[in-house]
Amino acid sequence: MRGTFLAAAIFIALGVIAQGFWFPADARISLEKCTLCHGKPEFRKILVDGKIRDLFATADSLKGSVHEKKTCVDCHFDVSEIPHRQRPQRVTCTHCHYKGNAEGAPQSDAYLEYFGSVHGNAIAGGNTKAPLCQDCHGNHSIRKTKDPTSEVSRGNVAETCGRCHIEIYAVYKTSIHGVAVSQGIPEAPSCTGCHGEHKIYAHKDPKSTVFATHVAAQCSTCHGSVSIMSKYGIEAEQVTTYQNSFHGVASGFGSRTVANCASCHGVHDIRPSEDPRSMVNPKNIPATCGKCHPGANPNFAVGKMHVDSHSKESGIIYYTAQFFKYLTIGTMLALIAHIFLDMYGRTRRLRGDK
Amino acid sequence: MSANDKKESKQDTLEREVESVVDEETAGLDPAEAGRIREKVRARVLEEVERERRIRTAAERRAEERRRREEKRRERLHEEGEMFERFNRNFRFQHIVMFTSVIILVITGMPIKFPEFVLSRFLVNMWGGIHNATIVHRIGAGMLIYFMVHHLFYTVFSRQGRRDFILLIPTPKDARDAVQNVRHFLGKTGEKPRFGRFSYIEKFDYWAVYWGCVIMIGSGVFLWGEEIVLKFFPKYVLDVAHEMHSDEAMLATLAIVIWHFYNVHFNPDRFPGTLMWWHGQISEHEMKEEHPLEYEEIMAKRSKQKTAEVPNP
Repeated sequence: MRGTFLAAAIFIALGVIAQGFWFPADARISLEKCTLCHGKPEFRKILVDGKIRDLFATADSLKGSVHEKKTCVDCHFDVSEIPHRQRPQRVTCTHCHYKGNAEGAPQSDAYLEYFGSVHGNAIAGGNTKAPLCQDCHGNHSIRKTKDPTSEVSRGNVAETCGRCHIEIYAVYKTSIHGVAVSQGIPEAPSCTGCHGEHKIYAHKDPKSTVFATHVAAQCSTCHGSVSIMSKYGIEAEQVTTYQNSFHGVASGFGSRTVANCASCHGVHDIRPSEDPRSMVNPKNIPATCGKCHPGANPNFAVGKMHVDSHSKESGIIYYTAQFFKYLTIGTMLALIAHIFLDMYGRTRRLRGDK
Repeated sequence: MSANDKKESKQDTLEREVESVVDEETAGLDPAEAGRIREKVRARVLEEVERERRIRTAAERRAEERRRREEKRRERLHEEGEMFERFNRNFRFQHIVMFTSVIILVITGMPIKFPEFVLSRFLVNMWGGIHNATIVHRIGAGMLIYFMVHHLFYTVFSRQGRRDFILLIPTPKDARDAVQNVRHFLGKTGEKPRFGRFSYIEKFDYWAVYWGCVIMIGSGVFLWGEEIVLKFFPKYVLDVAHEMHSDEAMLATLAIVIWHFYNVHFNPDRFPGTLMWWHGQISEHEMKEEHPLEYEEIMAKRSKQKTAEVPNP
């Protein structure tokens, strides 16, 4: 009796282990089962609002993606019988993508940043239109960021964001940064370059990288770097001249009303100042400055904006600074010399020598 | 014992006096009514006596204090001689307004020039942010402008102001004094230069403040009304004003902190500072030491007055 039980137990255990070896075949079977329906190109559903949901998915859907080796039920794990009776839930990526998972999924805390972001909060707040992971990274065709065909690659991410943020995308596409990205300039910023990747916040949120007091720092990550800017003939000193100006100093002290880079240069519609549509084109400067300084007139555009008193090109400002520099040095040297002579005289008289 | 007796007798006298007053007050009334209000009247009289006593002690305390102060002063006078008034009340008031405004301007303005300095953030946050700091800076600016206007009026309309202004104009003697002073420091000559009412050091201070006020107020007014200025001038005019304001602020602050502080605070003769800005007095000793020509002038004037007063025999 006991021997029989043991034999049965070993047999079952062997069977369980053996299943592991046959798993790939099993997966193929599972895929074939799904593609019975989903493999038909015309397999789609017409929703109540008239939209068509394409439900076509074959073995090719995952080809080239990072999930090439996965099967349907690895993600659609709530499908336990075929045909499934109800619509499967939206895929939850955190099923595998968490720190310490056994699946071998990339381990990082970056995913967690999403939950605090404006998108994650919108989802938590019940907004069904807010994006989940798959809305940006793609459904079946998830590829690594470095892969140029990935939906979140440098060249494609703006289009991906633009699927929802369509108006901003249209503005950005014609801006200097949008044009540069489409020309394939490697340093040019796409949406994520300024807004961040997973931790995107509303621009009114102090945590945001594009919050009023953070804009200057965000722009200067590229525009403050001489090695990047010199490649494209752009001056890197604009950052320091801004930081030394009253606008920059007040912004550094936490003023949210004072002008930052974006206040004058625009947000998504940044263009070079030669462009007549640019906010900093001399023709448009009265309107741009007038946003904060009512009654601004063309006088605002006379003279350099980013003034550096240390460079000779600043003309009269440079000479004023030089005059005061030498006046201060001269006066202070004379005064300090007088003080030290006075102290020397006192010491000498204290010692008693005449 | 005797002290106690004295107290007792004093108490008795007081009691008797009170009784007599009460009697006087109730004299015109019939005995029954007088008996009724007697206590009330008595209480009122005692209250009055008490108040009188308090007032007298307060007055006495004040008198005592005055006496002590006078004594102290006389003691010092013994050392230092007579006290002369160097700065009149008006001038002292101007100086107080000026240094208050300058302190306000420096602590609200310098953080903008040196935002990375450790104290800057504290000095800005102290007012509740940069916006408030700019408002405080404009209050300081208003005080400095008031001081400048006040001083111009003082120079033109006050006799003392006119006299001081003329004495403050630099003369060739100041250059000679400076050279002699340096020679004195170096031990080349034993004689200190003999200064008048204002030494070349004080003249420098005065004209430095004049120059500073003109530059700072001039450029500051431009920056204050930038929107109006830009209606008439191009932007680089404002940039020049900004540069001047920033650089002259540095020069003025350094001059005050190094030069003026040394001369009135850290100088071994003065440390830790004189109170002349408050009382305006200078002792005879200091007068002879630092302004011998002025001292002689005053003495000469006095003796002339005396001879004029003495009638011919």
